[in-house]
Amino acid sequence: MLTKIRQLLSIYKKSIKNFFPSLKAGTKNIIKDLPNQLNNVKMRIFTFKSGLTILCLIILILFPIFPETEYYISILMYAMIFAILAASWDFLVGFVGQISFGHAMFFGISGYSGALLIQNLGISWFASIFLGAIVAIFLGLFIATPCLRLKGPYLALGTQAFALILFNLMLSQKELNITQSFTDLDYILQYFILMGFMIISLSIMLIIVKSKLGTIFKSIRDDQICADASGINTTKYKLIAFIISSFFAGIAGGLYMVKISSVSYGNFLPLYSFYAIIMAAIGGLGTITGAAVGSFIFFIIQEIFSELFSASGGQMEAFANYGPVLVFALFLILVIRFADQGIMKPAVERLKELFDLLMGR
Amino acid sequence: MGMILEVKNLTKKYGGLTAVNDMSFEIMRGEFIGLIGPNGAGKTTLFNVISGFEKPNSGSIRFDGMDITGLKPFRIVNLGISRTFQLVRSFRYLTTLDNVSVACLSQRGKEISNIVGINNYASTLLASVGLIDKARLPPVILPHGDLRRLEIAKALGSNPQLLLLDEPFSGLSHEEAEGIISLINKLREEGLTIFITGHVLRELMNLVPRVIAMVQGKFVIDGPPREVANHKLVLEAYLGRGEGFA
Repeated sequence: MLTKIRQLLSIYKKSIKNFFPSLKAGTKNIIKDLPNQLNNVKMRIFTFKSGLTILCLIILILFPIFPETEYYISILMYAMIFAILAASWDFLVGFVGQISFGHAMFFGISGYSGALLIQNLGISWFASIFLGAIVAIFLGLFIATPCLRLKGPYLALGTQAFALILFNLMLSQKELNITQSFTDLDYILQYFILMGFMIISLSIMLIIVKSKLGTIFKSIRDDQICADASGINTTKYKLIAFIISSFFAGIAGGLYMVKISSVSYGNFLPLYSFYAIIMAAIGGLGTITGAAVGSFIFFIIQEIFSELFSASGGQMEAFANYGPVLVFALFLILVIRFADQGIMKPAVERLKELFDLLMGR
Repeated sequence: MGMILEVKNLTKKYGGLTAVNDMSFEIMRGEFIGLIGPNGAGKTTLFNVISGFEKPNSGSIRFDGMDITGLKPFRIVNLGISRTFQLVRSFRYLTTLDNVSVACLSQRGKEISNIVGINNYASTLLASVGLIDKARLPPVILPHGDLRRLEIAKALGSNPQLLLLDEPFSGLSHEEAEGIISLINKLREEGLTIFITGHVLRELMNLVPRVIAMVQGKFVIDGPPREVANHKLVLEAYLGRGEGFA
């Protein structure tokens, strides 16, 4: 037993020694590739898909102008927060092939740490998001060190086990309400701040996956043995991927915490891990943007269901409370059966065909 | 100049089965050596141990004077040994160019790609194996012969000094094999040391000046092809013993 503990300790020590070099290596790679990336960006700006994206963003931005949209803005805010969480999950699973079933723990620990920092050190809500995300990175390293030795379903279970442990630890904690908060701001301002976080987070993740670092990640996903045989230090890069993924999951968690102005076991809900999974699956794995699309669709459909059930009254009203879980289950079945590659890619293709048709090509 | 690979008393067991049994041999820089043996002789296991995918039970491997026994595969690649696989492996969802780029992004490959640019480096490698016109295609649509070429291009991405080719001719038509042979000869001209396995005697016999024969994990003979092909144990392994005939 003691030798096992000593072994684990030496593994952790090794990974801590590796952390800063890994971080340095990762950022150095990205920065070195930046000029090439900017050139790629120029080439991609005028595609149909980017036009569509810009259109969606414009709709999102102009949405508050329309009358009586206040209630829906609230839903969209949560959609944007979970878009970041789902994208962080897609980053890890769709691009590096490492399956995590416990992303809610990064979501929660970030909010929890952020709330504690606001409470005890009086930092701003803005800082708490980033500091919380950094705590999420450390949790990510802690989890990744043992878990990345596992493959496939075992990795998923390992991450889920840690997430459940953390959730159970939090059950005994009191709810913590933060006093100074994000919600003091004007509603529309909150909306745009969250949108800004979503756009920037997703953009960063997109830049990374389209860079040479992304190529390395994809090689690990496609065939890890082949990647090893190509001279890639797969352990190092899997660790880097985990760091990035847990960071953005932490950003999402920090945003959630300041939005609801409190932290409790509810921030660590295992259901949120599965939200990330189903949203990324709806949109399509390995796309990043698909996760955001999935998140919006999920929340919109959930809202429609919820309204349907509440409106019909009587027996059906009881279902309104189960809306979220019901929609989740329904979507899971539909996606697996009809759209296992996600709905975003086929939908975009159909739209492009329609567009070409209209343009007379 | 000098010895590039020294294998001493290498043994690899899987439970009760001894796949590699006390193998020892030396390879000089620039040599072109074949490793033959019937299926199950332990050739791929030997390659796996040399390239770091398996740890030996005992024995040592020295590369260019350095002890590489038990090192992880990526470290061995970055010291200068690349290998290909018997069953071709590729990155399914990447283009062939990206497939090669991955190896160019290894530590050793970066020494070159930092200077000439990774796209240039990968493209040059693809062109040298004759696949440049298929740069943007996914590997799944390539015929088997092209996949073997791609494997070699990928192996070259990390700028190896020693190339281990595991059964590069299996599953190839005569023309495809000829193509691979001319590719190998080109690589030899550039000074690459090549260690090649195969279980079909005919292919290797006309190709390599020196052959090591392996039967059931054990070293049998090391010498010119003609000598090896006439060795008693080698003939027995391939043709069976002659007893029991009328």
